[in-house]
Amino acid sequence: MTTLQYDAIFQQIEALLLEYAQLQVPIQDDTDLINDLGFDSLKLMEMLEEVEDIFDITYPLNDLSNLHTVKDFVLQIQQIVGGE
Amino acid sequence: MGLLDKLDTIAATRETLLPEGINPFDVVIEEIHSATEGTIDGHRVVLAGTNNYLGLTFHPSCIEAARETLLSEGTGTTGSRMANGTFSGHSALEKELAIFYDCSSAIVFSTGFVTNLGAISSLAGPGDVIVLDADSHASIYDACRMSGAEMIRFRHNNMVDLEKKLSRLGPKCKNTLIIAEGIYSMLGDCAPLVEIAALKRKYGAWLMVDEAHSMGVLGEHGRGLAEAVGVEKDVDFTVGTFSKSLGSIGGYCVSNHRKLDLIRYISRSYVFTASPSPATISSVREALKVISAEPQLRIKLWENVDQLYRGLERLGFELGSDPSPIVAIRVPTKENALFAWKAILDKGIYVNLVFPPAAPAGLSLLRCSISAAHTPEQINFILKTFADLKPMMTDAI
Ligand SMILES: Cc1ncc(COP(=O)(O)O)c(C=O)c1O
Repeated sequence: MTTLQYDAIFQQIEALLLEYAQLQVPIQDDTDLINDLGFDSLKLMEMLEEVEDIFDITYPLNDLSNLHTVKDFVLQIQQIVGGE
Repeated sequence: MGLLDKLDTIAATRETLLPEGINPFDVVIEEIHSATEGTIDGHRVVLAGTNNYLGLTFHPSCIEAARETLLSEGTGTTGSRMANGTFSGHSALEKELAIFYDCSSAIVFSTGFVTNLGAISSLAGPGDVIVLDADSHASIYDACRMSGAEMIRFRHNNMVDLEKKLSRLGPKCKNTLIIAEGIYSMLGDCAPLVEIAALKRKYGAWLMVDEAHSMGVLGEHGRGLAEAVGVEKDVDFTVGTFSKSLGSIGGYCVSNHRKLDLIRYISRSYVFTASPSPATISSVREALKVISAEPQLRIKLWENVDQLYRGLERLGFELGSDPSPIVAIRVPTKENALFAWKAILDKGIYVNLVFPPAAPAGLSLLRCSISAAHTPEQINFILKTFADLKPMMTDAI
């Protein structure tokens, strides 16, 4: 997986996170989805559906337990995209 | 941070959510008079949110069966199904359930919740995949987590999404269990089971249907949605509860796969919890007979559904689904739901208040469940009350 792909995913995710969080804050690798962006389970599920559509992937719910930061999220998507 | 600090957040949420004097989650039914009437806060109310679809909690023969067993076998089994908690009634009920469903195997658990925990987590494990509907009951979600299987959610009743997810699984489909519900507990809508069964066949997956709210309600014999839409042969495992149409407590899993019997040895919620009391089992056995012997109860239930549903439609309410014994009224905000719920109770009707995440898609709901035991007069009373309170239920606060 190249850095470029990481960045490309990051950019798409950044826009999506801001849209769902309805916040204007800088999104960084260590931004926390719950503590910094105020995601609750409902919002997270809605956003995951959109992520599945954008990247044409299935996001297994098991991955949620390791999803805290934006970096976790991008890496998870990168891995799923690479694996499918 | 101390152990209990996280509960402060709950306390704060409760404060903002529940203005003084209104706590819909702390209701005590001080007296229960019948399947459709009780006393709450000193007032006699019509119960319209109890899942008591056939009204069997007060059926004379169910009460008599339980009473006789209570006197002859005592108050409890004091043990798990695996140890000293299987009495002849438990075994007989399993045989009767197998006959009722025309299946080879049946297992009785202590509740519907632990049925799902035990059955799902034993049938699927690491290396397997579970594909579940997004609106699945909490017990299904918890069971999937316990199983260690890969857990994939498809959008509620969305067959395009289900097919996408199955097609991506490829050969893993033969280790994949799809889970859907007959009638979904919050909105009262049915699963598109004919389509789900077709996808199950096309991809070679397995199918489990939770008929908790549809058993006794749908199908010629009351077996549920799979019977009603003619796909019973495609359903590998049916799970359900004794706590709704059967008017008692407990749960079951039935199947034509004889290996189902083996999950008794590995289902932790079968092995490590006490079995239903003998009197409970007797009332369920009798209720199962009543479902078969008194199909008019189902007819009456659907007449009542029709009366309430059409009435609410005429009043212009936004309802959760097509007609079903669960009639969920969508209200604009949590505040609407809360104040309307209290006003409805003050006028003498108990319904369920449901907030997200218990309600799907961020909805706030006033959820009614209808019983065959409701009288036309009670339903008219519900309709009149809802008509009087309509602004509170529909104009956003
Ligand atoms: C779909 C579904 N499954 C299982 C259950 C759990 O049933 P029980 O009340 O017997 O634990 C419920 C009840 O709320 C349900 O709605």
